[in-house]
Amino acid sequence: MRSDREALLVLKGRGIVEGRCVAEALVSSMPLSFLGGVDPRTGIVVEKGHDLEGLSISGHVLCFPHGKGSTVGSYVLLALKRRGLAPAGIVNELPDPIVVVGAVIADIPMVVGVDIGKLGMGDLVELDGGAGVVKILKRSGRLGHVLDER
Amino acid sequence: MFLTRDEERILDGEAGPGVQLAMRILVKLGDVFGAEKLVPVASAHVSGISYKTAGDAAIEFLRELREMGARASVPATTNPCGFDERLKGLLQLPGELVRAQEELLSLYEAVGLRRTLTCVPYYELKPKSASHLAWAESSAVVYANSVIGAYTNREGAPSALAAAIIGKTPDYGLHRPENREPGLRIKADFEPKDELELWALGFLVGELSRGDIPLLEDLRTPSDWELKGLGAAMASGGMTAMFYISDARSAGKAEGLEGVEVGRADVEDVIERLSSSDEPDVVFVGCPHCSAEELGLLASLLRGREIRPDRSFLICTSRYLRDAHPSLISAIEASGALVVVDTCMVVSWVERLGADVVATNSPKAAYYLPGLSGVEVRLVNLKECVELVCSR
Repeated sequence: MRSDREALLVLKGRGIVEGRCVAEALVSSMPLSFLGGVDPRTGIVVEKGHDLEGLSISGHVLCFPHGKGSTVGSYVLLALKRRGLAPAGIVNELPDPIVVVGAVIADIPMVVGVDIGKLGMGDLVELDGGAGVVKILKRSGRLGHVLDER
Repeated sequence: MFLTRDEERILDGEAGPGVQLAMRILVKLGDVFGAEKLVPVASAHVSGISYKTAGDAAIEFLRELREMGARASVPATTNPCGFDERLKGLLQLPGELVRAQEELLSLYEAVGLRRTLTCVPYYELKPKSASHLAWAESSAVVYANSVIGAYTNREGAPSALAAAIIGKTPDYGLHRPENREPGLRIKADFEPKDELELWALGFLVGELSRGDIPLLEDLRTPSDWELKGLGAAMASGGMTAMFYISDARSAGKAEGLEGVEVGRADVEDVIERLSSSDEPDVVFVGCPHCSAEELGLLASLLRGREIRPDRSFLICTSRYLRDAHPSLISAIEASGALVVVDTCMVVSWVERLGADVVATNSPKAAYYLPGLSGVEVRLVNLKECVELVCSR
């Protein structure tokens, strides 16, 4: 844990699930459905037309506005966790029951109430779900998602 | 959130890991939505029962819950699954799908849920007015709040399951009387000519209401099956969980509310939007599951009629209602129509029927079928459904 590292930007939100992680941010401007939108066997976003389509959410700090779709989507986060494919952390602008419950049962650190627009694709971020804080440790210099990751 | 000493003990794991996990879910949701406490529920109704819509992830979660020793502590009913015996044969489902669905059902039973397999649980286990519930299945939620006068939020599959286990739900939203007041008046300047126009109006009301509770003015009083479909349509058009129609219960509530006027053309536009084709291969009614009243209507509409050899007529209801009304079922099936229980076209593998176009009278089914099963839809009223599927 590199909490001693100086942050470039500190975003204060509301902690939902305790726990800390440092990982690259995967940033989407679109709501995400876990059921049907993410393959529980691979962790890859499969929703057609989604700005994360084809990318793996595994091991990243997954940042998106809020969840959508079937409430059974919560179980997909647990299935990913059991396969070692879950996101390291989750950042949402708005809390919705699907993602909140998914993060609780899969024990994924989660913060809400953060302006996703301040986070860049590939930024190195530290998430503290207990304190409700997201720190940007290193900018990737990329804005939004990049095609060469597909 | 305030927790009693017992609730704290459960949250700390002193009562075992299954109830601890369920309590964590409820407490987190309560914190997020600003609940001050948990409120006991009379029953839970759980969705995520069809393997088609819930998938392997649900099986994995239920296996863990069962191993942790979790059990429902209040009466808990279940939504429709993917098939009944009859549909399993018609769809020629592969063994792996059948086995997965059966495992999911036996896991739900192992955690103490009843095998009701219906979206109209209120016909067999009717809640009391003003009782608190934790129900998933948006159409049942609207019916419970608006027709029965019970109190429930639109729960998700996991939160309804957690509430079934703990016997409580976070006290926010529609559990609080102050949140059950209408926020928008909707006035139809026409008399819906059949259930389809009424339900299409409902779909539009769902779209218009956003987070508000709508109050529908100047409607003739719909019968029970029409109210059931009206609420279902609102819940699929938007996030509506409760509505009022102008009657004694809503007297005086309209004052000062913003009003929206809706015309027949708006409703015809909804029907047009939800219809994509003309000639159906399959006609389907029972979304939500047919009530006894609807089965009676169908029995009289189908008297002396015969289903065309090139089309099929599927009528979905609950096992409970089918078994309670054997004479209606035989009258319906004398025409060649098939009564199917435990499932419905929306959560089954209807694409395996070889159908390209499904006709139905349900805006909810029309909204979901293209995305879930890739079929086109024709939306017509119940009488027209019968005409489309009968040769004489």
